[in-house]
Amino acid sequence: MVFLLRRLLFYFAAFFLAITFNFLIPRLMPGNPSDRIIASFQGRLTEAQVAAIRKSFGLDGNMWEQYVTYIGSVFRLDFGISTVQFPEPTASLLFYAATWTLVLVGLAIFFAFTIGSFMGIHAAWNRGGFFDSFFTPINVMMNAFTPAIVALVLFYAFSLQLKWFPLGRAHDPNLMPNWLDLKFLGSVLYHATLPVMSILLVSFGGWHLGMRNVMINLLNEDFVILAKAKGLSENRVKYRYVARNAILPQITSLALSIGYMLGGALVTEAVFNYPGLGKFTFTAIGSRDYSFIQGQLLLLTTAVLVANLLSDIANVILDPRLRK
Amino acid sequence: MSELTHTPALPINVAARAGVGSGMAPDHAALMAELGVKPKPGWTSRLPPSLASFVTNGKGMAGVILLLILIAASFAAPLISDYNPNRRAGKPSQAPTYEHVLGTTRMGKDVFTQLLYGGRVSLGVGFFAGVAAAAIGLALGISAGYFGGRVDDIITFFVNVVLVLPGLPLIIVIATLVEEASPFVIGAVLAATGWGWSARTIRTQTLSLRTREFVLSAELLGERKWRIVLIEIFPNMLSFFMSGLVLGTIAAILAEAALEFIGLGDPNAVTWGTMLFWAQNNMALQSGAWWEIWPPCIAIMVTGASLVLVNFSVDEITNPQLKASRKIGRIRRFLTRRGRSADVF
Repeated sequence: MVFLLRRLLFYFAAFFLAITFNFLIPRLMPGNPSDRIIASFQGRLTEAQVAAIRKSFGLDGNMWEQYVTYIGSVFRLDFGISTVQFPEPTASLLFYAATWTLVLVGLAIFFAFTIGSFMGIHAAWNRGGFFDSFFTPINVMMNAFTPAIVALVLFYAFSLQLKWFPLGRAHDPNLMPNWLDLKFLGSVLYHATLPVMSILLVSFGGWHLGMRNVMINLLNEDFVILAKAKGLSENRVKYRYVARNAILPQITSLALSIGYMLGGALVTEAVFNYPGLGKFTFTAIGSRDYSFIQGQLLLLTTAVLVANLLSDIANVILDPRLRK
Repeated sequence: MSELTHTPALPINVAARAGVGSGMAPDHAALMAELGVKPKPGWTSRLPPSLASFVTNGKGMAGVILLLILIAASFAAPLISDYNPNRRAGKPSQAPTYEHVLGTTRMGKDVFTQLLYGGRVSLGVGFFAGVAAAAIGLALGISAGYFGGRVDDIITFFVNVVLVLPGLPLIIVIATLVEEASPFVIGAVLAATGWGWSARTIRTQTLSLRTREFVLSAELLGERKWRIVLIEIFPNMLSFFMSGLVLGTIAAILAEAALEFIGLGDPNAVTWGTMLFWAQNNMALQSGAWWEIWPPCIAIMVTGASLVLVNFSVDEITNPQLKASRKIGRIRRFLTRRGRSADVF
């Protein structure tokens, strides 16, 4: 319990640090967004208009007042108004986009972690064998192929050339969004296949290598030798003794990697024209929609912190040593 | 492939445990030959063990050679190609010909020339960010691990924050505000956000070294703290520093390419990332101009793959169990051939 409380305290501190970064970065940079908008009118604005623009970016009052206002608006989920989809509030755009990113990243993480871990277990158990010496380097190398490139290759091959998969969108536009409708769900999965594949292909190698290396270090431990000496079945030693211990550090790094996976998803969505955070960020970068770009950072940070908290809880459940 | 000769005790002990006693085995040399262990070439024995194990690792050396070829090609760019990467060199969107080995872009620039010059920036920024991140990680990790107490608490807090905050989205925010970030601004931001992992591993290693006899004896001799850190602890961290450097470089090269690809870089700089950005912007895939998009892709993939290969051999230095496990397949087959149980592993 003490362990969880300490972690919770840390996540709160990290969250506040992230908010503070988000607050300070545009204010410390030369040429903040509101100055740029004001400059684009080339002096044709009245003083009241300039003040209104500055106020809408939260730039009125001294730094401390601005900071307090900013924190208040974050907790009210008020991220300002989007300049691209004016006058849509940024928050509603963010949450719409985040749903689709969640679909992609959720599916990709699930498959990558499962496939990678099982391959890692197999490679470590038969270490030095054909599977280990052939697939371990190949899978890890795929890790370095970066989502952007794998996405381009898959898009070119399966969407443009073979035309097996759609050129964009998250679902068939003729279907009404309804998560209980099987036809809609099928269309969502069909549209998500290639983006998920491209995140999956570049990330499962990391789980393979991580699981393999942790397991190799465990295989020489006394408790494993004892389990074998007791004559337990191979699968029981493999999964219940070694893999169960090796998975603990993997869960921690799974939570830490979610930030990286989200980054990968941003690029993948831009290639596949998938209406998630990445595609919206892509458009927001093009039109300098700062409220959206800052909002996505805050949203993703919160997501990563929540994921880390969940992994701590999972670790407490799986590892009795932490329950003292 | 002769690492086993560093630890000749391993196969013999293992064989003995499996029941292949000295009475059964013909003699040491024949056994070694059957195990596929070649005598160690003379010059490697003069190297320090970790370097020797690096040099004799086929995977790692393949990576080093690939990397050297890439670096040499991008530095020799003016010797290899006569074109200017920023100027029109021919008709737009030309397929590869003898004059333009990899064709031309929609702006009529020579793709092969851009690839060579782009490599300078992409590799340069990647290595710069990788070295900087590893150095920050080394300095903070050793300080946290050795000095402990309040210093450790503060550094560990920041390490955890850097690990937890999502890197790419943060960089997107900074790069948007900088407006057309030059490759080196991107590199600096990547270095400033990428040191978490190496700081964490090095801190853990330092913690375990701090209580070792040689550090204790240096402390009892009254050595100054900075001297203990530099002379006693630092050399033991070199392999971890290398590992942080390689991983940091991979991450930086990939992240730089991704950022420029989504349009956050300076579009006038010639790098692999901006080549991809222009190719995507000009709808190179849709219009069938494959030569515009695949060369930078392949260059990034080859760079990533070669660094991963190097990392395999660095990993085997930092974690010797991994090196031993590479040989186990051979020992298993050897035991099975002799009708012995290979179950001990």
